[in-house]
Amino acid sequence: MRHLLIEPFEFGFMQRALVVSLVIGCVGGIVGTYVVLRRIAFFADTLTHTVFPGVAIAFVAGQSLWLGALLAGVASAVLFSLATTNRRVGDDAAMAILLTTFFAVGVMVVSRVHSYTNDLVTLLFGRILTVDRADVLTTIAIGVVALGVVGSLHKELVFRAFDPEGARALGFSPLALDLALNLAVTLVVVAALQAVGTVLVIALLVTPAATARLVTRGIGPMIVVGALLGMAAGYAGLIISYTASVDHGVRLATGATIVVVLTVAFAVVAGGTWIARRSAPTVVA
Amino acid sequence: MRMIPALELDDVCVAFDDVRVLDGVTATVNPGDSVALIGPNGAGKSTLLRAILGLVPVSDGHIRVLGTTPRLARRFVAYVPQADSLDSEFPVSVLQVVLMGRFREIGWFRRPGPADRAAATAALEQVGLADRANDRFGVLSGGQRQRVLLARALCQDAKLLLLDEPFNGVDSSTQELFLSVLEQQRAAGVAIVMPTHDLSVAHLACGDACLLNQQQYGFGPIHEVLSPEALRATYDTRTLLRPGDEVILTDHHHH
Repeated sequence: MRHLLIEPFEFGFMQRALVVSLVIGCVGGIVGTYVVLRRIAFFADTLTHTVFPGVAIAFVAGQSLWLGALLAGVASAVLFSLATTNRRVGDDAAMAILLTTFFAVGVMVVSRVHSYTNDLVTLLFGRILTVDRADVLTTIAIGVVALGVVGSLHKELVFRAFDPEGARALGFSPLALDLALNLAVTLVVVAALQAVGTVLVIALLVTPAATARLVTRGIGPMIVVGALLGMAAGYAGLIISYTASVDHGVRLATGATIVVVLTVAFAVVAGGTWIARRSAPTVVA
Repeated sequence: MRMIPALELDDVCVAFDDVRVLDGVTATVNPGDSVALIGPNGAGKSTLLRAILGLVPVSDGHIRVLGTTPRLARRFVAYVPQADSLDSEFPVSVLQVVLMGRFREIGWFRRPGPADRAAATAALEQVGLADRANDRFGVLSGGQRQRVLLARALCQDAKLLLLDEPFNGVDSSTQELFLSVLEQQRAAGVAIVMPTHDLSVAHLACGDACLLNQQQYGFGPIHEVLSPEALRATYDTRTLLRPGDEVILTDHHHH
């Protein structure tokens, strides 16, 4: 146990990586619950990609990556809302256009830099082992703001997801609520930038919440289980990639390992509930 | 002092992309009145409900709800959707659904308190489902879910109740319960507007009727308005009518 729980974290970089993985696992699991209930996983994925050019421009310009990501995320959330006001442009088409355009701009910007491939990989897939103290604090701060957004609007977000017409009829603007949730998603993407990068962060938002949904009956338990799963996967992914690299000489990207751990958990739970349902067909779901 | 009508429709037109889906609807609904909206599918009944809720703009004419605009009257207007329009897999409990009726009163950001829970529980008792408060909404039968949505509207303490086809696919005990609850509401001065296909239920639940098929074919006391001729005009040639019974569509003409 000592080998798993203590030794790896004697290094400062591993301590910081652990804190960051636990924070984004927790925040991703919680914000992800609202994403899954609202059925906007694909839109959240679009946001994760549209954040990329903001990061790329900030990187090239030597500005704060956090700020660049935040501005791009807000811009794409607003652009998306505008693009879909014309009902002939379906949500799915608008998302596909936004996703590819923003991503292409990001690649164009980064490709002008000498260390192109290396930088691109860092931005896309994260580099959790190189986070410094300031990054840890920023991640925590952004995570707290994201939780504040969904926490203060919990009843409204649930109402809007369950009964959009009813919510509108009572004066809870779906547009305002969607923008608030999009903002929370953007914040999670920004917070997870260093750890898993912009491409894989969607897994942190969707997979824990989708897994939690399979084994819970209420939204409260779903939030708790989603957060715990996110944190457990953050820890497990970090340890697995560390052990593989130190003990076995196999290099595993930490962010990708976290994602694979989450997927395995989802597959196990989905398989388990399937078997449970088949063997007890009289139980009402 | 003159009584303020619960709802005034003055030559109301609604158009989507220049296509008029409702034209020239004029009606006054006083507190305690109950109006059946009667017309074929696609007649604009749901659109009229949405306009009264302030969810679609009126392109011509005026709607006044409780003496003010639909948007300002929202707090006092309760909408009961059809139960099967809601996701039965959504992880909310019966009590949580009923509590949504209090959200306008509670306001943005704040959480429901003990008084809200008490009101929601009382509303659930009124529809006979107090013992199901903690069950998941989706495990209830269609009729029970419709009752939960009625309870949600009741705990809103509304002055105008809008029910979308409330008797669609409900069992007879739920229908009985709905009729008695709506009667109590009317006695307490609540006005009711409900689109329905079921003419016999319309006669039981409503004192007035409004015949609609894009335009208004009649409005007034239900026994006067629902004449065979008026119904035939409203439904065009597409229907066969049995007086006092459900309207049966004979042709599947789509516009």
